[in-house]
Amino acid sequence: MPEERNEYNMYEINICHLYPDLLNLYGDRGNIIALRKRAQWRGINVNVHSVTLNQPFFPENYDIIFLGGGQDYEQEIIQNDLIVEKGAEIKNAIENNIVFLCICGGYQLLGKYYKTWDGKEIEFLGALNLWTIGSKERLIGNLIYECSYLKDEKNDGLIVGFENHSGKTYLGEGVEPLGTVIKGYGNNGEDSFEGARYKNVFCSYSHGSLLPKNPLLTDYLLSVAIKRNYKDFVSLQSIDNSIENQARESMIKRLLL
Amino acid sequence: MVTGTNGKTTTSRIIGQILHENKTNYITNKSGANLVSGIVTTFIEHYRKKEYHLPKTALIEIDEAAFKVITERISPDILVVTNFFRDQLDRYGELYTTVRGVREGLERCPNTQLILNADDSLCVSLAENREKVLYYGFDDNAYNNQIENSNSDASFCIKCRTKYIYNNHVFGHLGSFSCPSCGYSKPLTQVTCTKIPELNSTNSTIEMKLDQYGKIRTTINLPGLYNVYNALAGTALGYQLGCSTKTIIKALNTFECGFGRMETIVKDNKNIRIILVKNPTGFNQVINYLLTEKGNTQIAFLINDNLADGTDISWLWDVDIENLQLISDNTSVFYTSGVRGEDMSVRLKYAGIYTRKISYIKDYHELITTALSSMKENENFYILPTYTAMLDLRKILQKKFGLKAFWK
Repeated sequence: MPEERNEYNMYEINICHLYPDLLNLYGDRGNIIALRKRAQWRGINVNVHSVTLNQPFFPENYDIIFLGGGQDYEQEIIQNDLIVEKGAEIKNAIENNIVFLCICGGYQLLGKYYKTWDGKEIEFLGALNLWTIGSKERLIGNLIYECSYLKDEKNDGLIVGFENHSGKTYLGEGVEPLGTVIKGYGNNGEDSFEGARYKNVFCSYSHGSLLPKNPLLTDYLLSVAIKRNYKDFVSLQSIDNSIENQARESMIKRLLL
Repeated sequence: MVTGTNGKTTTSRIIGQILHENKTNYITNKSGANLVSGIVTTFIEHYRKKEYHLPKTALIEIDEAAFKVITERISPDILVVTNFFRDQLDRYGELYTTVRGVREGLERCPNTQLILNADDSLCVSLAENREKVLYYGFDDNAYNNQIENSNSDASFCIKCRTKYIYNNHVFGHLGSFSCPSCGYSKPLTQVTCTKIPELNSTNSTIEMKLDQYGKIRTTINLPGLYNVYNALAGTALGYQLGCSTKTIIKALNTFECGFGRMETIVKDNKNIRIILVKNPTGFNQVINYLLTEKGNTQIAFLINDNLADGTDISWLWDVDIENLQLISDNTSVFYTSGVRGEDMSVRLKYAGIYTRKISYIKDYHELITTALSSMKENENFYILPTYTAMLDLRKILQKKFGLKAFWK
């Protein structure tokens, strides 16, 4: 484990976990653990805050906001709170470039609507120009996608995760995919897009958890968040990722070779 | 029949022993063979022509998702439901779907006597509109949770979606719940754990109160709070059948479990202990148990992602692996293995375990010999496999280390 470096002590990151008691499916809290640990290993000060139902939400206090997935039962409980009570603040925060990470159900909720397979349309937050259509079959399995912005001479830019969703998501104008599907379904199994990017919002269907096994993406999110607050920030120092990469590469080998 | 997420096998074993002590002749299915196919096989295997003396009792462990299907053919006289936790969601869909499935199955058996865990709000919801229900659970003073596991599977009222209030919390979402909005709450129990005088690394002493019989005290050869619930479930069934307290106590003292439920193999005076892990709540309970280990130890995690294990291993991130830091001083190595052993290494690293203590060894035989060679006499080596990893592990232990074949 790397030692703490003093030059990073001046930085502080505040992470907000939205509805941790309700949207906590499929190990998504692993993403919070990864963000916290990788910042701490650099000596960056990290605070994780929880905000749930009926609690006031001031997004300007946070650098990274996390929204995970939940079971239908729990997602229905938060829907009103998210859209009516916190919706305007979430939209403001997105337009003000705060970093968001949204997984699965959290991803869908930021979109315009969810249409069930039998035609019922449920209005969602509409913060991002995307929408989801329910299907009868579930898209389940290990998933690999490529993020061009993480790719360089040293890194393949491949992200590994596990998807499990029945909603098929489609991106509208102004929203970019998070990556291009190499193996698996991604957003809908049709257009080879996986996830969504808009300003500093990062959405994905990947559980796994997503971030721990994909340290490059984690560091990318941390860097974007720090840069937004500290103009002098250049980059994160590199640390030993051999354990993470072993797990990641082992899945890539299994699926692609 | 016995169903629920965790504790089916152990509870069935306790009930089996009670039936045995009660001189009740019965047939039962093998552990793990708890889907419809395994149950049908059990009945076929025990088919006898009329002239033979036939057992009139069947003790069936049934997968919670298969219950709905089996009730199209047979209705149990008694159904014990242990609990509902998140388990292999990629296979079953959501937790509430599983509960709904059991409820639908029960609609086909209106005369079935239910034995339910009163501390589980999901279990208790099965009692709606039913008369024949017996409850077991913890008295509020019997146990107070010291280590709070963070992830709760059911913290909102199943009837009205308000957050429950807990007078006492045992583990997971188990405890004396009550809904401040609609009043849905833990029912009165007929079989109650009143005190746990001892809970150590090999056994548990339990005091219980049985409504008509009064207090009993017994020791089971299993550690861990979750096994206290299994003992209560078994006792509740014995009580329902009208067995004497003597029979129940003797059965609890003598039942054998095996098959990855704290099986111990002694090799050169060193103990190899196998504890199956299959979902976050069960895994958290195993970790709470490991925290009682005072000696030097080594721990191996064997993680597979085959269908029977659940193909999504995300659930490892819902387990409070961080608590293992409390015993990392006396744990020299944390081994990882299995198809997804490398993912477990990542989990350990992010749980704050020193990376130099994390060792991935692919080959089980090499892993076990490495661990044993660095252990002293009387030390414990814990192996925590997922289901299919345990099947592979057993083959090696049988061949090389003299583990007796399961199923007597």
